[in-house]
Amino acid sequence: MKRYISFIYLLFTLASCEGFLDVNENPNAPIASNLPLSAKLSGALVSTSNQETLQINQIGGFWGGYWGTNNDGTNLFFDLKTYNGPSLRSQREGIPVWENGFNNILFFRLIQEEAELSSNHFYVGTSKVMQGWLFLRLVDFYGNIPFDEAGQGNEKLQPRYEDGQVVYQKAINLITSGIADLKQAGPVPATNGDVMFNGNVDSWIKFANTVKLRALLRQSELGNEAYIQEQLALISQEGSGFIQHHAQVNPGYLNTAGKMNPFWETYYRDVQGNATANYQNLRPTEFLISQMQDRNDPRLSRLYQAIDGEYKGVVFGNSDAGNPKYDRVNTSAFLGAVENGGPTGLFRSFNQPSIVMSSFESFFLQAEAAQRGWIGGSASDLYNQAIQESFQLLTVPAMEATAYLSQQEVALERAEDPIRRIIEQKWLALNSISSIEAWNDYRRLGWPEFPATAASGVVGRPNRLMYPETERGTNLEQVLAQGNDMINEKIWWSR
Amino acid sequence: MKNVLLFTVLFFQFGLSYAQRVHVNGRVTDEDGFALPGATVQIKGTPTTSVTDHNGLFRMYAEPEQLLEIRFMGFLPHTLQAPADEKLVEIILREDATMLNEVVVTGALGIKRAAREMGASAQVIENENLNQGKPVNPILGLSSKVAGLRINMYDSKVDPDVQVILRGTRSLQRTSGIDGRNPNAPIYVVDGVPIPNISRLNPNDIESITVLKGANAAALYGSEGVNGALMITTKTGKKGAGTVRVSNTTMFSQVYMLPEAQTQYGQGMNGIYSPTTFESWGPAFDGSMRDFGAPLPDGTQPQLRFAAPERDNRLGLFQTGVNTQNDISFSGGDDNSTYFMSAQHVHQQGIIPEDVNNRLGLRFNGTRRFGKLHTSYNVNYINNKNDVTPDGPWIGAYRYPANFDFDMVKEWQNPNAPGNPNNYFIPNGSWLRNPYFLIDNIRNVSEEQILNFKVDFNYQLSEKVNVIYRLGHYTSNTNGRNTVNKFQAEGTRNTNGSVNDFTNHYSRWNGDLILQYRENFGDFSLQALAGQNFRTDYRKDHNLAANNLLYSDIFNQSSRVGELAGGSSIMEQRALAVYGEAVFGYKDYLYLNLTGRNDWVSVLSPQNRSYFYPGVSTSFIASDAWSLLKHSSQISYTKFYASWNQTGNVTLNPYQLNNPYSQNNGFPFGNSIGFLPGLANPNPNIMPEFVTSYEAGLNVGLFKHRVYLDATYVFSDADGQISNANVSRATGYNSMLVNAGRMTSEVLGFSIQGDVIRTLNSRWNLGANYTHTKNIVRELYGDAQFRQNFRQSYAIVGEAFPSLWLSDYERDPQGRVVVDADSGDPIVATDNALLGTLVPPHMIGINSLVEYKGFSFGLQFDWRMGGWFYSETVPPMYEHGTHPETARYGREPFIWPNSVVATEGGGFVENDYLLTSGGGKEFWSRQGAVQSNTAARGDFFKLRELNIAYALPSSLLGRQKAIKEASIAFVANNLFIITHSSNKIGDPEYLYNNTDGYYSFRQVPPMRNFGFNVNLQF
Repeated sequence: MKRYISFIYLLFTLASCEGFLDVNENPNAPIASNLPLSAKLSGALVSTSNQETLQINQIGGFWGGYWGTNNDGTNLFFDLKTYNGPSLRSQREGIPVWENGFNNILFFRLIQEEAELSSNHFYVGTSKVMQGWLFLRLVDFYGNIPFDEAGQGNEKLQPRYEDGQVVYQKAINLITSGIADLKQAGPVPATNGDVMFNGNVDSWIKFANTVKLRALLRQSELGNEAYIQEQLALISQEGSGFIQHHAQVNPGYLNTAGKMNPFWETYYRDVQGNATANYQNLRPTEFLISQMQDRNDPRLSRLYQAIDGEYKGVVFGNSDAGNPKYDRVNTSAFLGAVENGGPTGLFRSFNQPSIVMSSFESFFLQAEAAQRGWIGGSASDLYNQAIQESFQLLTVPAMEATAYLSQQEVALERAEDPIRRIIEQKWLALNSISSIEAWNDYRRLGWPEFPATAASGVVGRPNRLMYPETERGTNLEQVLAQGNDMINEKIWWSR
Repeated sequence: MKNVLLFTVLFFQFGLSYAQRVHVNGRVTDEDGFALPGATVQIKGTPTTSVTDHNGLFRMYAEPEQLLEIRFMGFLPHTLQAPADEKLVEIILREDATMLNEVVVTGALGIKRAAREMGASAQVIENENLNQGKPVNPILGLSSKVAGLRINMYDSKVDPDVQVILRGTRSLQRTSGIDGRNPNAPIYVVDGVPIPNISRLNPNDIESITVLKGANAAALYGSEGVNGALMITTKTGKKGAGTVRVSNTTMFSQVYMLPEAQTQYGQGMNGIYSPTTFESWGPAFDGSMRDFGAPLPDGTQPQLRFAAPERDNRLGLFQTGVNTQNDISFSGGDDNSTYFMSAQHVHQQGIIPEDVNNRLGLRFNGTRRFGKLHTSYNVNYINNKNDVTPDGPWIGAYRYPANFDFDMVKEWQNPNAPGNPNNYFIPNGSWLRNPYFLIDNIRNVSEEQILNFKVDFNYQLSEKVNVIYRLGHYTSNTNGRNTVNKFQAEGTRNTNGSVNDFTNHYSRWNGDLILQYRENFGDFSLQALAGQNFRTDYRKDHNLAANNLLYSDIFNQSSRVGELAGGSSIMEQRALAVYGEAVFGYKDYLYLNLTGRNDWVSVLSPQNRSYFYPGVSTSFIASDAWSLLKHSSQISYTKFYASWNQTGNVTLNPYQLNNPYSQNNGFPFGNSIGFLPGLANPNPNIMPEFVTSYEAGLNVGLFKHRVYLDATYVFSDADGQISNANVSRATGYNSMLVNAGRMTSEVLGFSIQGDVIRTLNSRWNLGANYTHTKNIVRELYGDAQFRQNFRQSYAIVGEAFPSLWLSDYERDPQGRVVVDADSGDPIVATDNALLGTLVPPHMIGINSLVEYKGFSFGLQFDWRMGGWFYSETVPPMYEHGTHPETARYGREPFIWPNSVVATEGGGFVENDYLLTSGGGKEFWSRQGAVQSNTAARGDFFKLRELNIAYALPSSLLGRQKAIKEASIAFVANNLFIITHSSNKIGDPEYLYNNTDGYYSFRQVPPMRNFGFNVNLQF
């Protein structure tokens, strides 16, 4: 019997070779502690700029009056063209603005937490500014969203939603606090992962101020003047002013599939130079073409290809699909470096930077603020500078800008309603670059009056996105507590 | 002619024996004196037989001195010498104790067990039954034959995946462990060694499959046995002269049950004909000849008749599949050793043109005894080559107009053919390209080689003690290449060339050291075992790809533009365990079985990685214990059993305790790096989950073992589940690893099997099994009331898992659709609707086998009721105007049938005047997005297997010596299916991505198979 007992003992000793089980270290990927902050900041910035220039810009392209599709693209972007809220929120066919937005917030929040532990103020500041940017974006899309309980992983599994206006204030405060951190940042090392401003603290602060200005202008129609003035005072106290050049990301785009400028690769050409499906099927709206033609806009010939000398648009919503007038070959495609033999319009090179916020958007914001008397400076000068910057980006010679600006229909001094003129020119300049701001301005001011979708049976316009299916599946109580969740429900700052 | 000769010879033999015959009168009873009607009496060595009547009496001629053999099912055969007179002979048959009482099953660890000792249910499927439908994949041979076992095939491609669920869904996880198995699947054990996959085993190598149901039966396998086990025993040679078996099966496959499509409207938009759109929003078919596509480069304009042909044009895409299986095996043995060798080659040609799968299986099983040491060794090599086109061709086919002619575009190379990508009628890319272009140019080719061996040493230390060491190895190497052939064309007509070479290596070592002890103390007996197990799993995958090749037909990464793509991953997982079992017996009719096991696993953090779990079960053979039953003439066997058991389980993959960072979005860009964390929030404190099961059951043999009944009830409770909980994305993460969620399931299983007719020459065996599964999600993470499983498949607290939860129209209390008072369009409800379970709660299998002389006629029916299913093929059919619904109202605005309008007072009035806003693409696309239009009841009844076989009688083979046995058979699968009237989509058995009831847009429609089998034994 003893023999068997010792045998059983042997079995247990065999089982307790603990070292045998120590094979659970991941040999395939690093974990947070293996990586410097610089490697994380670059990842988070590119993830955010991709969301801006692809997903968000695309929604704006359609809902901001710029884009439509030709006959071949009738069944493309169908949910956007028919304002199909339930489909857009669905996990399968929908557009995950919410999901990607909060993922990006998490990326910056993890950077912030790690940087706070090591008092690395540059990373604390930049990650706060970017979180502020993302929260503002999400309010613009959805209305009420979580702020205090957002991005906290398993600490808060069902984050509580807060009023959109409150989130706006908190996001602005977060940016303000990020500016304070940035001001404390010492010299930033050369390897900083800052693919937007390459460690230039001053640019970050100016960018942060501009984002705040945009957030304040968003509230122009609400009449809470006191709050706005208080915030404007903070910006002017800070003193750095607003950004004068593009806030743009370039991690070093390569001529390789998946590594090109994403806007180029999505809307223009693949690595072998083949036109993409979007290039084939996306077309400017007839309204956009006519607005540019009304103003003799020289940008038109840099942006689009002429068909027998004429610029031909489409109707957003394809009400007359099948009409040969809207065939692929009879409508104006984008013009780019390939057709024009050199950097042209929106498509200058596969490695052009991704614009997160353009200099001209900054100037238009300043022009509007000046026109409203919110900030000092000449609205007209700022407005002109904005247009010149837009011309420069689209490779239109400066001379043509001068002629353009002097026109009755363009000069700000000659405008009956200067704010409307600023917004109309801003709309023309942000075309396909920050298209979402056109939709935002339309929701705020109703200008310019681009037509709603012509798709049959669709009434009204979209005013927001419905809360996503994923949120309904995990945080339904909060979703239901926000009341009417329809796509035409106005958000707090809407006109 | 030969037959006639043989017959003549036989006739003369009869004639000779006639001369000295006498009448034998006999009565056959059992030991208790009850008559046995239907017993056969045969004169040994002759075909002369008789059968007893209802009083057990028989009367037949025999020569004195001839031997009479009396047989009756469930009794030992009895032989007596024919008496010289006609006096009544009393013949008492003794019950054959081995018939049921001593049925031997393959228990856990591959140890043979008497069924009477088992405190849990088990069912044995023998080779013949398994292979009735001649499946290529042995798992499919189990479909609907075992109560509680649910088998679902993925689709009709060659070498399809199969989902196996035993006793209902228990885990919320979708995959688990390094081998990526379904956490609701049973463990597969081949000859005592657990292996990750048995779908490529040669079904003819399998002697039997014992299905150990539920955790109770498989307690000693621990975690992976939590859902039960499929214990596969492969064949071994028998002592005696060698046997050679040769067989061929040839089967043909045909597609059927395509999703219903409209045949009224042709291609175009807004009612206007367009030769270059694939969408069916054009005018009504009128039978005229119309231009189809743009003019070809040579100036000719292809034309098509603008009318839907009588035969569904989509059938033109498919071909008749052919599947041949060639088998040969050798077996034999002597006093000390046995051997079994087999080879099988399977060639499958799919219903999609050019899809091919070839499988070669080789096996060598041997045993050898060296005194007290008994050794056995099995080696199995499998080579499977698969060459298919991925999902493309069918995905386009159901979006095409009803007059599309597949033959017209078969030729795509010719620059002047309408099928050439430059001329194809639609310029769109992706799945909408010419199906034949996709078939020829997009290929996935892979070769998997599996080597599986085990060695087994069993040493008899003493009469009471033996020690077993068993070492098993399983390795799978897949070597594949996916290619897309470059075709340079304008815009979306262009196809970029790409190549992806990959290898996946997986290997497992599994070792068990087991000490067994047996002892009898008077009426008491003890069987005990103690064992130790180690297991290592290792996986290494890598791929090397170029996504932009420069030249067509040159598939090499160096002929590319841009950077090289690819990567590798290594995973390793280890586990140790000790286990023990003690079975106490009393008088061979009462048994108590105790088990315990402790596991140590590498995938948990060190403080959590050791866990213990116990089990207890009991069985009681009432028919032996109670004299009332013992002497009953109706009830021949009664066993009650019950068990309780707890099983620990870890469904983690390696390295899930920390969040890995990876480079995405194009990073690295040269020297520029950028990392992002994973979006599944890791949790280093994950603990094992525990499943508690209770089971009680009853086995009954009736009417002298002519009928068997089996009833079981199981309750299991899986708590603290390791699951990837979906969390609000506002947390920043998409999901989180948690120990949360509780699911209970109740399974009621019932089966009956018996001979309706039983005579010497004929038998009709009929059986049925019924399973009712009721599983309920009790708790999810935190206060979460639901959790997305996969798309529309959800876990919802208080409901069955998974349930179909989807968007629907707003409805009044009577269920009528509410339309918008302004637009007349049906209003989509803001809240989703819960339709019900995606798993059929009622499953019935019915089998029938009629044998008459050499003929046999076998049928297997599969009937499943009460579940829903969801098909992704429907929304695109709405969007592209091919769905029958889109043609129902003449493409005009119409009054939504059975609809109401909301009144101001909160009531509803019938809508008989409001027309919808439209009847064209915009309107119907919106309806296609309403997911309730995409669901159907998943009920079905199908003839799963049909086998009509004829074994040549030995009389026909008698004269020659080479062939000992020969048989031919007609075999068919899925010959017909009856589905619910709401289902116009396809076979509800099919599923996608391990998701019950979920039909993807990419799944190939069902097929029926039929063919023949020839079997020879030398």
